[in-house]
Amino acid sequence: MTTILDVILLGLQTGAVFSLVSLGVALVYKATRIVNFAQGELGTIPAFIAYIVMTGFQVNGEPVTDRGRLWIATLVALVVGAGFGILVNTLVIRRLAAVSPVTSLVATAGVMLLSSAMAQIFFEPKARRFPQYVGGGFRFPGADVTVAWQTIVTLIVLAGAAALLALLFRTPPGVALLATAQEPFAAELQGISVSGMRTLAWGLAGVLGALAGLLGAGVFASIAPAFMTSTFLIPALTGAVLGGLTSMVGAVAGGLLLGIVVQAANQINRSFDLGIPGPPQVAALLVLLIVLLVRPQGLLGKAA
Amino acid sequence: MATQEHELTVDEVMAEEEREAEELARKAREARDWRPSRQGVVARFGVLGLLLVVVLAAPQLVPDVYTNLVARAAVYAIVALSMNVLVGYAGQVSLGHSAFVGVGAFGSAYALTEMQLPFPAALVMAALTGAVGALAIGAVALRLKGLYLALVTIVYAFFAQEVVFNIRSLTGGGAGQPAPRPSYLASDLRYAYFCIAVLAVFLVFDWRLTGSKGGRAIQALRDDERVAASWGINVTSFKLLAFLISGVIAGIAGGLLGSIEQVAVPLDFGFSLSLTFLVMTVVGGAGSRWGVIQGGVLFALLPTLLERAHENFHVFPFTAIDATIEPAIGALLLLLTLIFTPGGIAQQQAHLLAWLSFRRFKDVRETTGIAPGGMGARP
Repeated sequence: MTTILDVILLGLQTGAVFSLVSLGVALVYKATRIVNFAQGELGTIPAFIAYIVMTGFQVNGEPVTDRGRLWIATLVALVVGAGFGILVNTLVIRRLAAVSPVTSLVATAGVMLLSSAMAQIFFEPKARRFPQYVGGGFRFPGADVTVAWQTIVTLIVLAGAAALLALLFRTPPGVALLATAQEPFAAELQGISVSGMRTLAWGLAGVLGALAGLLGAGVFASIAPAFMTSTFLIPALTGAVLGGLTSMVGAVAGGLLLGIVVQAANQINRSFDLGIPGPPQVAALLVLLIVLLVRPQGLLGKAA
Repeated sequence: MATQEHELTVDEVMAEEEREAEELARKAREARDWRPSRQGVVARFGVLGLLLVVVLAAPQLVPDVYTNLVARAAVYAIVALSMNVLVGYAGQVSLGHSAFVGVGAFGSAYALTEMQLPFPAALVMAALTGAVGALAIGAVALRLKGLYLALVTIVYAFFAQEVVFNIRSLTGGGAGQPAPRPSYLASDLRYAYFCIAVLAVFLVFDWRLTGSKGGRAIQALRDDERVAASWGINVTSFKLLAFLISGVIAGIAGGLLGSIEQVAVPLDFGFSLSLTFLVMTVVGGAGSRWGVIQGGVLFALLPTLLERAHENFHVFPFTAIDATIEPAIGALLLLLTLIFTPGGIAQQQAHLLAWLSFRRFKDVRETTGIAPGGMGARP
């Protein structure tokens, strides 16, 4: 018998990764007014780099997972993530000839397509084993399902990242980021380096993406080209919109909420034998429509 | 230099501005009243005629195995026109077009197989289902703007892909629903010509739409909804009209697409198709009907072209390129387009298109690219 507690625990497992990606999406949106479709790829590529470091630079090797190798791989992945984010900004976003929110949305989708297509070519569309940071799990009191330690790690990282970002927007650099987003010209007049701020935002988004990639790979204990985009991007975007795009706490709440809703929809479909195809998609669409029709700015977003 | 400026009085400055305005108006009048010379007219008709001949001969000229590809190119061009109404004219982003097209395909297939209706009736069914599918999103679009709408259309496309297209009684499940062609269109050649004819009909429709009051109202929404409303344009109705038109065209395109392979399969109408549709519209040049048509044709042919080039040319770039990297090439084209010519193919051909429209070669006034207006969604 599956209890409500089990549904919540299972929902948190995927919801935590949704939230990490949502957080990156919300950060980029808040700082640059761009909806970043490449946020999933900002996780896939660093995860692959970490994999390559762990296999000792072999494309098809078996990852070595002693502590030292794991930490080095993590560090390299985070640096690669930041670099990838900054590269996307420098090579594409900054150069867009016509800047409208939709043009930049299409451009980030282009980056996503290009990155996943390149990954398909180099790594071939197949799954590879990827280690979890902490193996095993424990029985949550009163629940039937086992909670993976990996989920706890993800939740801790998530809480830390959200808290740090929420704090960031209260410090002078954070305020400068916000000013850049709202009115770049006026921000420049105040002596803020607009291009520097955008580099900072994309770099941070890259680090967040890499964290999400490393922890997201742990959910299935495997990686494949574009796995972050195909599994987590759309739920994460939905979660970010649910939470209100500009709110860091909202992004986390939206991602977690969606994780639980999706899990609940699956469970309801199974328990009552409704036979609805794709319950997660039905639930996601319904929740998104209801929230946006009642609060177009999202759960925790501020109205314009 | 500064001393001279001081001597200008207010009146002189105003007179100067007036002269400049007159100059601009005169140039605009000249451009409008300009007519090509007799040789110019002949040359333009010659080139247009040649293009027409090429298009009409295409189904005959290509090897038999590729006749269906010509039909597919025509259908993609129709989808591009449908995308253009929303993205180019109304300024609403749609990442849900795979759903509209898919709904049309399954609507048509259901009418053909389950209801045993004749082919024209099935296409009407496709148009109706496409319209319903698009109006559902149009109703949401009344309340949401720009980026929020884009995200809802994505979720909608996934919803259609995973849920609607998997209802076995409607779509036949994974194996798909047969969508047989009628006897008079049974041969691939005839079907290709039929698709080209439908494309021509929608091309004329699109041309007349942009010339009509409704079409201009839709374009006014793109530039600025509030300004449009202040001119007495009913924002709600015209936005829904744009979705309706786009949905009808997409639905019919779906019906045609299903009958190319004579079966509509759920897997073919996934979200990635929506991305392809948006990419081909942007690469073609949103807002320009000739641009998006070329974009549609290009992306319909690209996988096959790459594959054939890989098999037949044994020189450097082609030995490395095959159909598996088509997504990468599409994405690269998209990024290069956005960075260098945001108006896409239409912008690259602006002079050519002006000349072919019986204007001066230099007279470029088509505005293309995704307009910034109407998109500034702030939560």
